Amino acid sequence: MIVTRSWLNEFVDLRSVSNEKLYETFNAIGLEVDSLKQTVIPPKVVIGKILTCEKHPDADKLNVCTIDVGEGIRQIVCGAANVVDAQYVAVATIGAELPGGLVIKPAKLRGVESEGMVCSASELGLPQMGEGIMILDESIGTLKVGEELGSFATVADTIIELELTANRGDCLSIYGVARDLSVALELDMKPFEYKKKEKMQLGIAREAEIHTQGEMDADLHFKLATLEHLSNSFLLQLRLAIVEIKTEDKLANILAYATHTTGVVLRAYNSRVFRNTDNKISVRPVAKTKGIIEITGNNEVFSVAGVYQQKETIASDETKELLLEASYIHPDVLVDAVAGTSLKTDELYYKTSRGSNPDLVFGLSFLASLMNTLTDIACYEGSLTVEVARENDTVVVSTKEISAIIGMDIEIGKIVTILQKLGFGISAMGHDVVAARIPLFRHDIKHIQDIAEEIVRIIGINNITAKPLVFAEQPRLNDTTQWYQAKKEFKNRAVGVSFYENVSYVFTPKALVEKYHFTVVKEELDLINPIAEELNTLRSTILINLLTAVKRNVSYTKKSIPLFEMGAVFGSKREQKEVMAFVFSGQIEAESVKNAGKPKMIDFASFVQKVSAVIGVFELVPCTYDNGLIHPYQSANIVVNNVVCGFVSKLHPSVQEFFDIPVTYIAEVDFEAFLPKHINAKPISNFQGVYKDLSVVIDKDLGYFEVAKVLNRLVLPMLKECYPIDIYEDEKLGQKKSLTIRCFIQSMDKTLEEGDIESVMSAIMSALEKECNAELR
Amino acid sequence: MKELEAKILQADTLEALEKVRVELFGKKGVLAVEFAKMKDVPGPEKKAFAEGLNTTKTFLQESFDARYETLKSEAIHAALKSEAIDVSLYGEFAQKGALHPVMQTMDKIIDYFVALNFAVQSGPMVEDDFHNFEALNLPKHHPARDMQDTFYFKDGGLLRTHTSPVQIRTMMQTKPPIRMIAPGTVFRRDYDITHTPMFHQVEGLVVDAKGKVSFANLKSILTDFLQYMFGEVEVRFRPSFFPFTEPSAEVDISCIFCQGEGCRVCSHTGWLEVLGCGIVDPNVFKAVGYEEVSGYAFGLGVERFAMLMHKIPDLRSLFEGDIRLLEQFR
Repeated sequence: MIVTRSWLNEFVDLRSVSNEKLYETFNAIGLEVDSLKQTVIPPKVVIGKILTCEKHPDADKLNVCTIDVGEGIRQIVCGAANVVDAQYVAVATIGAELPGGLVIKPAKLRGVESEGMVCSASELGLPQMGEGIMILDESIGTLKVGEELGSFATVADTIIELELTANRGDCLSIYGVARDLSVALELDMKPFEYKKKEKMQLGIAREAEIHTQGEMDADLHFKLATLEHLSNSFLLQLRLAIVEIKTEDKLANILAYATHTTGVVLRAYNSRVFRNTDNKISVRPVAKTKGIIEITGNNEVFSVAGVYQQKETIASDETKELLLEASYIHPDVLVDAVAGTSLKTDELYYKTSRGSNPDLVFGLSFLASLMNTLTDIACYEGSLTVEVARENDTVVVSTKEISAIIGMDIEIGKIVTILQKLGFGISAMGHDVVAARIPLFRHDIKHIQDIAEEIVRIIGINNITAKPLVFAEQPRLNDTTQWYQAKKEFKNRAVGVSFYENVSYVFTPKALVEKYHFTVVKEELDLINPIAEELNTLRSTILINLLTAVKRNVSYTKKSIPLFEMGAVFGSKREQKEVMAFVFSGQIEAESVKNAGKPKMIDFASFVQKVSAVIGVFELVPCTYDNGLIHPYQSANIVVNNVVCGFVSKLHPSVQEFFDIPVTYIAEVDFEAFLPKHINAKPISNFQGVYKDLSVVIDKDLGYFEVAKVLNRLVLPMLKECYPIDIYEDEKLGQKKSLTIRCFIQSMDKTLEEGDIESVMSAIMSALEKECNAELR
Repeated sequence: MKELEAKILQADTLEALEKVRVELFGKKGVLAVEFAKMKDVPGPEKKAFAEGLNTTKTFLQESFDARYETLKSEAIHAALKSEAIDVSLYGEFAQKGALHPVMQTMDKIIDYFVALNFAVQSGPMVEDDFHNFEALNLPKHHPARDMQDTFYFKDGGLLRTHTSPVQIRTMMQTKPPIRMIAPGTVFRRDYDITHTPMFHQVEGLVVDAKGKVSFANLKSILTDFLQYMFGEVEVRFRPSFFPFTEPSAEVDISCIFCQGEGCRVCSHTGWLEVLGCGIVDPNVFKAVGYEEVSGYAFGLGVERFAMLMHKIPDLRSLFEGDIRLLEQFR
């Protein structure tokens, strides 16, 4: 919503209010200022009166004018075609410096002396308003030749762009903004004076009639008028240009200006369309459904109240007799009704859907008054009206409640003053309690807290004293809080082993998800309106996003790219779960003197070690995941307490090639599986233990996890630990390989004897012989 | 004796000194030979002879010990020196990654409210119309819905446009009093220099008996919170509008880039908008079946906080895993 100081000044006297105060006040009352610009007209630009205007002898497009600029008469050459129609113009006299930096000097144009320049709007830093130079008139104030243009407050205006919140339809007009401002600044609104020419004496009933059909939700006022000599004043054009309203013609300009000023939704019909066979204007508003009021005539729909008007019925500059309409419909009723139809809406719908001004008499009076000054208009006496019997809602307001909401004592007198100025009707109900009747234009106000908001706005939030809340002690360390704390700990561990935290969208390209055989959200549950093709479905893995980030970092010439991300992924039914994903791409560490600038590339063992440093102890068994990122011979299920909770793998070379990245390892695990668990300590033995190595020959294809299974099944209290330390293969062994296992043997209750150790080792050996077909090497 | 002392002092290694020790103090050493002469010294002179000899021995022993200490310390020093390295080569060696600045900021926010005895709550990202809009006093066709462009699913589900549905879920599951925050990922269908389709919010909600929770309380906690996050800043409240709070306010801090003087970041206003807040609208309480309660709520965008706190110029770079940005947060 754009307003200007001089425009507001028509309704509230702002002469004593500085721009700083205006800026502050608007922000304080919730009309956020987007921008506030003071128009500055350069000095030495003055009002000039054109005395003569003749064609330039040597140039078709130039005119030579003599212009009275107050301190003398100047000869000025002007290139604008419309100068021939002008009487008063803005003249940049010698020495004036225009906004573009142009300094006006005496000049010769095609041999003719020129002492100044006749200015267009844009040359003076005003918004462009039509072709050619500005043709001034007394709409901006009394014109005196030689007077500085900058001394006209209507031209050197302050332009303020307000960011209105969705509830403040009442401020979509100059009048509405002025009303809000007047309360905050404790100024009175100027009474509106209706200027009318006493010309027409005929009553409207002679020519027009109205018949409604069905239950009316809209207020409608119609006025019949004849007009001639339609014009637009300079100020009207300037202001419409400032508020960026462009219309079809002069009549539309006048309507738009009146609507922007008053907030009343105004339309003009060519009255001819309503004339029936008896040559009478017959207006028939029909309630089509709740909230849809069609304005019909001769059985045709000409408009829908608050929604649109048929093009053919719109009065133009050539229309001699027109029917002016002011309408109001409650926005809640209208918006619900329109949503249920496929009606096209016009630019006025923005106002009607947010609540236009219900004061139709004011709107039409203002319009008629405006037209009086710009046209030869003759209005018929009276108007055709439809008025909805509405009851204003009332809110009971008590100081106790208001003070409790705000947290500061507010006196009833203060509350009453503020509400009355805002247009509420107040009636006393008892000690410190009043009933506040809500004005129709404040459809956003419904209950006591809305009233509290009005009070807060006007007294200013910054004037409320802050008070800490006293709250009952209660433990609030719930599961989610602990979950966040655990998550933070995992992230810190990942950072400790060189990973960078990535945050990516939970969207991912469906094509890639499908290509690599990850779970896809069911078609019937997928997004309707994705923002881009590469973000067109919910991710079921974070890895694709991480690989995309790796690719990006490769293009930034990064050589070692360790990334992790914790976040949500979704199943085929859109079920959400939290996973932790890791990628490590390229060099295992930074280039340094340690590795002579040639670090090794990341490998399976190093990657697993890093992942384990984050998520803790796990077992690796052959991979059962079958997504397309997995390397079939360097991949594993991650198993914790016999449950598979994720996988680790070398990135499949074809994917590596597709993303055009160096050697990469990936892992993705379910976060829940790694949440901290309760641990009970086991007793520790103080007796000396021994390490014993056992080398066996087994089948080449036998994975260590098979051997581990056998070892884990053994019930040998003294066998504390065993782990593989060497694998050896050579031709002599053929289809076999040698495996060395290191065992730690210790008793809980005595010093080991040779026999103890031997019995443990032989138990191991015989189990391996039996179940793994192992031979002692 | 001078001669013997010179021998000690001339030994320049521990090995050489050991040879001198044997020569002087050994079983067949110079002193042993001298002491052996004792038996030939006549009775009356014996005492003086013995004293002289002992003095000599003590003197030599002391010289020897001192020399030994010197040589020993030189040897240790030499051994240490042989292990010398240029430590300055290894300063850049740390193998540490970094947390994401947005997540770090979110954790910092969570820490503040947990310390004030707020519970952390969460809810699903895929929401329904009721929790995301309807219950928050945003009925269908409400003009305020224009403010948010929503991602919808084919079955009518949607991606939550704010963390506020977590308020609704929490209130529907628990009885007041409530004191919670809901950090989380939210989605709006917007993609340009200042908008990403996904971002993070932290939402706060406090509910207690009617008449207990006021706007003054909200001012108190948010002023303190913003100063915890941004340091010594001025805090300004401006009335605004949110469908789920009434009265509502937007909260600004004095610009941390220009200290309120006016600069490009604050659009020359001297203020930066950082928060939205208000007293919970009675319609919200009605939707969750709460009666006779009062409460406040607030919400903030974590990316905006992170960008302001760390002077990160580009929003979109936060979602690209750009190590050039992340490594600055090590």
